[in-house]
Amino acid sequence: MHIAEGFLPATHAVGWTLAAAPFVVHGARQVVIEVRERPENTLLLGAAGAFTFVLSAVKLPSFTGSSSHPTGTGAGAVLFRPPVMALLGTIVLLFQALLLAHGGLTTLGANAFAMAVVGPWAGYGAYRLVRRLGGGLLPGVFAAMAAADLATYVTTAGQLALALPDAETGVAGALVKFLSVFALTQVPLAVGEGLLGVLLFRTLTANARPELERLGLLAAAPEPTR
Amino acid sequence: MTGLAVDDAAWASAWRRRSPADKLLLCGGLVGCALALPAWPGSVLVGLTAVVLALGPARVPARTFGRAVRWPLSFIAVGALTSVVTVGTGGLGWAPDAAARAGSLAGHALAGSAAVLLLATTTPMSDLLPALRGLRVPAAVVEVAAVTYRLLFVLLASLRTVREAQTARLGYSTPARGWRSSGALAAAVLTRSWDRARRMQEGLAGRGMETGLRVLPEVLPSSRAFLAASVAGLAAIVAVGLAA
Repeated sequence: MHIAEGFLPATHAVGWTLAAAPFVVHGARQVVIEVRERPENTLLLGAAGAFTFVLSAVKLPSFTGSSSHPTGTGAGAVLFRPPVMALLGTIVLLFQALLLAHGGLTTLGANAFAMAVVGPWAGYGAYRLVRRLGGGLLPGVFAAMAAADLATYVTTAGQLALALPDAETGVAGALVKFLSVFALTQVPLAVGEGLLGVLLFRTLTANARPELERLGLLAAAPEPTR
Repeated sequence: MTGLAVDDAAWASAWRRRSPADKLLLCGGLVGCALALPAWPGSVLVGLTAVVLALGPARVPARTFGRAVRWPLSFIAVGALTSVVTVGTGGLGWAPDAAARAGSLAGHALAGSAAVLLLATTTPMSDLLPALRGLRVPAAVVEVAAVTYRLLFVLLASLRTVREAQTARLGYSTPARGWRSSGALAAAVLTRSWDRARRMQEGLAGRGMETGLRVLPEVLPSSRAFLAASVAGLAAIVAVGLAA
């Protein structure tokens, strides 16, 4: 769920851009350091961005009968950590605005704050919490992807409520309205994205275990004894 | 054909050879007007200008433009409608100025979306990314974005191929199979993206290009006539928008 171009007043668009900027700049610095120390990782980071974009093209069978598309930021936060996702998510949002007409340029800051900052951090927080409580990788991934999606949706609804307060009940009433309307698609999507994450990481655990070990998501398997 | 209709339109557009800076000035100006001017007549003028320029001189297929506008249209319709419904003690109702408020909101959003779409359907991303360097975005970040742009078409092709194979094997014949296939599809695309990146890196390293994929940007000269017409047109929109 991206806010369309022109939907936010100029002051809100600037405000959300300023709010997202420190996180995106921090992510950019991390990427610059990473590329300076290991230039070969430029391509891996590019691949991560492309994967996040392409993940949004995977159709999920929807509980309501139609189909919906995941945001992919929860998986990205688990795989590549939230600071890097702040930058990669913003790049993906820019590409979605200019290649798919999803979102916009003046609303890029607001969308980046919701999808590239709040979503990944909420998802990563949920993942760390589940792992700390003794949960395995798959419950952690489910929590990360569902929480990232829900946090993005709640933040976007908040941004819309602030920009378009209800005539009678103000921002609080508008928040209830936007949360209710978008809950029809976003709550099933959050559950669906969590399920997709479980299926994705289950396949990765079977077929790409070395990569997951290198990313620190799985403990290295002990050497077989002879 | 890249598989993304907007990108295909950008490469085929009659404005493809125009300077990205010229198009950024025109479309940025239109986006600014859509945001700042009153919906009537400002947004209407901006929207009409963007559509006429896209379908006329830029020769963007009407079908591509129309299909691309459909995406923001659903969000705009739901968002604008929700914003003018009031939640009070007496239940749901319409805001006093519902029609004007919804019209203004939809007008700003549609005009802005049309202006962004004019840029998107006339300027390939590979022309816009070098412009980010002018905005002092670090070279490493622009390079990561450029690799993302180049790789996403490869991954989209992989996605389509794998999905086609899954469908042929009845992978989406029931909801349960559909879920399993979607998970396997996402995993296949992710592992392929890692594999592609590793193979590209090895290929570049073998050619002595240790610092990544550097390409020579195409030089597209600026046109004074285009710039003058853009400034004059934007000034006219601002004048009419403020005078009304």
